[in-house]
Amino acid sequence: MKSRALKFPSKSDVNIGVFLCRCGGNISDTVDIERLKSSIDAAVVEDFENLCSVKCKKNIRDYIIEKNLDRVVVAACSPTTHKKTFQSYMNPLNPYLLEMANIREQCSWVHSDGEKSTDKALSLTRAAMERVKHAQPLTPIFRKTKKSAAVIGGGISGITAALSLANQGIKTCLIEQKPTIGGNMVKIGKIFSPEKLAEECSMCLLNPLINEVVRHKKIRLLTNTRVKKAERKGGNFNLILEKKAGYIKEDRCTSCGNCVEVCPVNVLDDWNEGLMMRKAIYKPFPQAVPDVYTIDGEHCLKCGKCQEVCKMGAIDFSMKAEVIPINVGSVIIATGHRGFDLARRPEYGYNRFENVVTQMELARIMGVNGPTKGKLFRPSDGRIPHRVVMVQCAGSRDDKPDGKRYCSKICCMVALKHASIIRDHYPDTEVIICYTDMRTAGMYENYFKYGQSKGIRLIRGRPGEVTKKGDNLVVRVEDTLLRETMEIETDMVVLSEAIEPSKGTVELSKILNVGLTEDLFVKEKHSKIKPVNTDVEGVYVCGTAQGPKDITDSISQANAAASKVSELMNGGLEIEPMVAEVYSARCKMCGTCIDVCKYKAIFMDDEQIYIDPLACNACGACISSCKNQAIEVKGQTDDQIFGIISGMLKDKRDDEIRILAFLDGVGYVAADNIGINKIPYPESVRIIKITSINRLMPKHILHAFKEGADGIFLGEYPDNVMYASIQEKLQEFKKKLLENGIESRRLMFYKVYTPYFRGLAAKFVEFHSEILSLNESLDHSFYTPCVPES
Amino acid sequence: MKQIPCKDILLFKSCLVSVEYPGIESSTRYLFDQLGIEYLVDERQSCCTGLGHYYDLFDQFSTTALAARNLAIARETGHKNMAVMCATCYAILKKACQTLEENKEIRDKINNIFEGSGMGQFSYQRGDFDSRSNIFHVAEILYNQKDKISNLSRIDLSSFKMASHHACHYCKAHYADTLGDVRDPQVIDTIIRSCGAQSLEWYDHQRLTCGAGFRQRFTNKDLSLSVTAEKLLSLKEKDVEVLVHMCPNCQMQFDRYQPTIEKILDTEFDIVHLNISQLVALASGADPYRVVGVQTHTVPVEPFLKKLDIDVDLRQKNLERSLVDEERSLVDEERSLVDDGRD
Amino acid sequence: MKTLKMEKNVLELAESINQDLKASKDMGLLKCGQCGMCTSTCPAARHSDYDPREMVKRVLEGDEEVLRDDIIWNCFYCYTCHSVCPVNNSPCLIIQILRQKSIDDGAGLEKVASFLAYGDSFLEFGIGSIPHDFFDNLLEDFGDGWLDLKLNLDDIRGELGLEGYVLPEKALCEIKDILEKTGFKERLDRIRRFKNEANTM
Repeated sequence: MKSRALKFPSKSDVNIGVFLCRCGGNISDTVDIERLKSSIDAAVVEDFENLCSVKCKKNIRDYIIEKNLDRVVVAACSPTTHKKTFQSYMNPLNPYLLEMANIREQCSWVHSDGEKSTDKALSLTRAAMERVKHAQPLTPIFRKTKKSAAVIGGGISGITAALSLANQGIKTCLIEQKPTIGGNMVKIGKIFSPEKLAEECSMCLLNPLINEVVRHKKIRLLTNTRVKKAERKGGNFNLILEKKAGYIKEDRCTSCGNCVEVCPVNVLDDWNEGLMMRKAIYKPFPQAVPDVYTIDGEHCLKCGKCQEVCKMGAIDFSMKAEVIPINVGSVIIATGHRGFDLARRPEYGYNRFENVVTQMELARIMGVNGPTKGKLFRPSDGRIPHRVVMVQCAGSRDDKPDGKRYCSKICCMVALKHASIIRDHYPDTEVIICYTDMRTAGMYENYFKYGQSKGIRLIRGRPGEVTKKGDNLVVRVEDTLLRETMEIETDMVVLSEAIEPSKGTVELSKILNVGLTEDLFVKEKHSKIKPVNTDVEGVYVCGTAQGPKDITDSISQANAAASKVSELMNGGLEIEPMVAEVYSARCKMCGTCIDVCKYKAIFMDDEQIYIDPLACNACGACISSCKNQAIEVKGQTDDQIFGIISGMLKDKRDDEIRILAFLDGVGYVAADNIGINKIPYPESVRIIKITSINRLMPKHILHAFKEGADGIFLGEYPDNVMYASIQEKLQEFKKKLLENGIESRRLMFYKVYTPYFRGLAAKFVEFHSEILSLNESLDHSFYTPCVPES
Repeated sequence: MKQIPCKDILLFKSCLVSVEYPGIESSTRYLFDQLGIEYLVDERQSCCTGLGHYYDLFDQFSTTALAARNLAIARETGHKNMAVMCATCYAILKKACQTLEENKEIRDKINNIFEGSGMGQFSYQRGDFDSRSNIFHVAEILYNQKDKISNLSRIDLSSFKMASHHACHYCKAHYADTLGDVRDPQVIDTIIRSCGAQSLEWYDHQRLTCGAGFRQRFTNKDLSLSVTAEKLLSLKEKDVEVLVHMCPNCQMQFDRYQPTIEKILDTEFDIVHLNISQLVALASGADPYRVVGVQTHTVPVEPFLKKLDIDVDLRQKNLERSLVDEERSLVDEERSLVDDGRD
Repeated sequence: MKTLKMEKNVLELAESINQDLKASKDMGLLKCGQCGMCTSTCPAARHSDYDPREMVKRVLEGDEEVLRDDIIWNCFYCYTCHSVCPVNNSPCLIIQILRQKSIDDGAGLEKVASFLAYGDSFLEFGIGSIPHDFFDNLLEDFGDGWLDLKLNLDDIRGELGLEGYVLPEKALCEIKDILEKTGFKERLDRIRRFKNEANTM
């Protein structure tokens, strides 16, 4: 074994001041402060009734100056409560030269035996002293990001985010893979709003925004463009974009439309959900932006007829796909959703019967710029249907293979909206909505009542099948309120298709290395407090790429994402300095750490490895992977870890059990909660806070056993991207223990959650008795775990 | 998609195949031989309990214990891939295998019974089988050989309208293991098409049960037959001539009851019922009476055979020929004796 | 009017069903949203009063009377509900469990009594047979061709090149032994006692 780490530099000459807090009896009622005080060997040992009170600030500072202290240990409450307070007492010393011993939450509040708790308080304090000897002065990192952003996806979310960024002075590139921006919103024709009992024209609302995008000096609009590659460099992103060859010189095209007349190619018009035909040279819809024609390279025959009639000479078949590299400070994913593929629910007959359509198709049918100029018709014969049956949850709320487990959130309102429009314009057409639950949360309830008052019929039941009998379609459903199975005859069925992430959402997430949910939506860092952050720092998400939501919510989220980007760029960020750092002299540039880091904090630039402090979570997984010992996590160096382990195990009696519990941030808070709720657990348990189990290496574990630990307890919150490597780590530890003749049951792993502190306390008790029985099964006098000399 | 084996197969005997449509077994064996699929039939294997199980007569524990014994036979003979001809066997074996894998208490109880009665060789150890990758329906194995099947096809079936009836206990009971889409499996349809025939894309009530409903056939006959009739009517509307099955119980429900339903409804269904193995064997030129076993059908298959230009008097001729063969072999014997004498 | 009593644990029945050996892992019984998709695809619901959704509702309400309700015997065990239920519930499995409970309870004995011969045959031959009680009905429906098959089965199997389907003696002993130890024989005897009593009454 490498011995470098096990040799600590001698730090016996540092002057440490130890300040003990009685906490108004909270500590001193259990812990014998006098004995504690007299057992500590330090330059200064003083006790105070309430160390956190303002007057103690002066006291401590005076000691620092008078006694020329180099380091400070405060033995008091949990660092979570007052570490910041005590750090502010440190002046003129660097605040990071302070260490705290948690003798309240993790000692006096959980133990009642005065003798044993005083012993434990002593070892906690000594451990803090051992650790603080190796502390380094640190300064917080201040970071500014390049003032530019890329917004990917030109739907309502992307448009909103881009405009907000641009209005805040941030140079923004809006990237859309289709020839035009506007996304789904521009296709659906009419939209519902929370407070209005009317359907508004989506085009009328969207057009001014689209025009603003085009006019805005800070926005660069790239249509027909996709992100091909992304690379993180420093705090910035290098994106490689590819703009499809559109064969049209956008600056020349006047959108006269002469070309369309002569184009001989007819293809299904995807913008109109394939309900009508278009030419190979086309503009998706009259108001499309950019207001130019485009050529569908897949179907174009390159016959040149359009070229002949174009007076502006705007058509150029020699154009090639263009590669555009851009460098931006932030990325917003706004790649949206698509409709569920109804072929996966064949029983609804979508691919068999012409008159079974989706809500999006119905929107196009009823859109004024659609195939019928807004007239409702049955696709089979162009007649107005007598009855329209809507089937809710087509693919949503469905746990079965290929189904979507979630509620698509908008379909109830979409169905009501379309039903309401039909009832207004075609009073002879009956509309029946077959539903499981009508979900019109908040203000939308008004709209639901409004729809009902127009005579929309509701049948509560989830249809099982759509079939055809004679000329009519038949919907098989149970009216669950009547307890009656029925076949509803109808001449048109509208399936309220689920929303699922667009192909682009999934592809782009792969390119940007952004985490996805089980349902393949972009995963936000935290659904409550970080709803627009992704797990890659600097990449944000908004709109339906993140989950099903309506236009109102998409716009709110887009604005939130934009202001997060702007926070980063305008304010800059102060980051805690406890992050990983590379020592370039030792680094052999193997790049292993880059692959290991799931936070994507490590990158290579100009033949050097860098760690982005903004993205680093200080988990320390990179350290274990580095064969050249070129990485260290500041504030958690090997010396500090060895120091605290040795300190915790000092002066252990023969008949005593000591268990070291390494807990991550979540586990540590859970342990504090045990204290706050005064749930007892054995004194043997000594808690050491680490950023992650990934920081620990076999040498630390073996060191602990060598120094006399009877058991090691590891606790970590499982819902993090590095969890998989923790599992590998545990296997590695167990293997090493086996090699060294240590019973692997002496190492225990437990998943911690802040609210489940009772479970953690119970685990401590359980582990203690496990260790006890292990020790008893050994001959007491011979119990010395065999660890090789290093 | 799951891996489908072509060797180490235990062809699992089915009670209804054995006594109602033995032609399904002879057709399957014939096809396995033609396709070079290595398999074994073991006389010790018991019935899966399926019918009794779903008559509610058997309890889950007894069914599982018997399954453990049958699995042990497969293990012992080195033929761990169970191929079933009946959908009920499929569902029963999968469920039992899952229980033995996942439920320690039940596994221990069953093993204790075995060990306490000198049958320790039947004990089930965790990991012995995987219900997903060791238990298959014969139709899946044929599906996997679809290309070879089209090469085997010798009879032109292109003018026939066929439809599939995917048995419920194959496609619905363990839906996560069903090949293709649970709601529209297309396993049989694909094989039908490999034989050169047309198979309906979809028909109303495609997913509907045959109507046997285990006890329903006996105790609720009207209910049972009204379901069968509903499906037959839907097939009639689409002019289906052959309904292709994968389960002898479904086949029995349709084939045996079709004349009864015709009487009740006063209508005629010109629908012949064949198991998928029977159809493929027929398409590849197998003898209808010596391999396909059409002589046990209630709805006569002969009109369909006639359309295929297959000699329907074959059975009689077979019988005559076997008499002739017998005579000939006697003659041959005499001749060889004479030949021997010459040397 | 019904009163929902405070002290009653309505979920007792549902929980015992979830723990039954027949229940599938993670069966969504408690997640049932009463959407009715099961019923809308159920063959028994189309042709009788049976309603799988309602059966689940009654179970969730702790209605033990459902065990004595004839309607539970209408399910076809076709698993259609099981294969489409959006919350992975399975009315089909629930009914199988209810029927077992009903048999244990005594009420369901009459429903299985007529199938006794299948079990007897299984104990003796390791393979079930068509229950005698129904043989005549089947013969009437299936016709003489079927009777011929039954009478000439061995010859026909021979014609098809198939050996006999009867298990060897040793296997039969094993099966009998196993079924005695699993309690199946005792189960049959209980049904037989019930049947004899019913016949003598």
